[in-house]
Amino acid sequence: MLSIVPALEWLEGLTWTTAIRESAWGYPIIETAHVASIVAFAGLVIMMDLRLVGLAFTHVPLMQSQRRLFPWQMTALVPSTATGVLLCVVDPLRYYGNVFFWVKLALLALAGVNALVFHLITYPADGRWDESPQVTASAWRAGAVSLLLWSAIIVSGRLIAFSWFD
Amino acid sequence: MKTKIAFAVLAAGVLCAGHPAFAHHPFAAEYDVNKPVTLTGTLDRMEWVNPHGWIYMDVKEPDGTVKRWTVETSGPGQMNRRGLRKSDTVDGMSLVIKGYQHRRDPALANGRTLVLPDGRSFYIGAVGGPNDGADR
Repeated sequence: MLSIVPALEWLEGLTWTTAIRESAWGYPIIETAHVASIVAFAGLVIMMDLRLVGLAFTHVPLMQSQRRLFPWQMTALVPSTATGVLLCVVDPLRYYGNVFFWVKLALLALAGVNALVFHLITYPADGRWDESPQVTASAWRAGAVSLLLWSAIIVSGRLIAFSWFD
Repeated sequence: MKTKIAFAVLAAGVLCAGHPAFAHHPFAAEYDVNKPVTLTGTLDRMEWVNPHGWIYMDVKEPDGTVKRWTVETSGPGQMNRRGLRKSDTVDGMSLVIKGYQHRRDPALANGRTLVLPDGRSFYIGAVGGPNDGADR
């Protein structure tokens, strides 16, 4: 079977990935930026989720919540993804062998599918409940699933630091 | 509202006070404060990496066999601030490391103090951990 390990070893051996991995400041700065941008992104996503499940901002029309939050969500998604990819690239073998990393990736994929279904199908079709504090069942589900997934993503990301199953 | 904020700050303070070891990951989650170890041996290699470095060293056991230990250190930034440089360790040099053994892995330890062959001593533990004075 073709293994990606040799490719990861090559990546790990590059001068610039090694320099970041061994840096006194570079790595901590990237890691801090990753956490800060996740706080921004997940926080904005959770604001929308809370509106969908009816726990907060119910007096704000849904379309207005969406229009205000979405551009900022996408803005925060760029640095959180970029710093996350960079952290993986500079230390690929560590992440390859970490079970929580793969759990986090799988949950991220699920959260992506959930968000796509909501934005492409549920939201355009259900716009009529815009002014109502109560959204449709499918939109409520999208918010609840997103809340659960993002909580689990943040926890599994934190757990990558522990080598319990290495 | 002000009372609420004051309470939240107080609660956070109490929680943090209970967890002085809450650094990159808590010491106690992986290492056993009741299993201090002193390792005298030769350096196989050191990985000077984030978020934590790793020292691989060969230690002669009482029965004459050689055991390969892995020692977790703090990150490059923290070791730099303590005066240790990547160039200070050379493969094959003799080392003395004091630390604490892992809860389950008998060949893994959390490093606290590193003594080089020239006698210089460095704190290589992460922020927090047991209050054993190694960081002073």
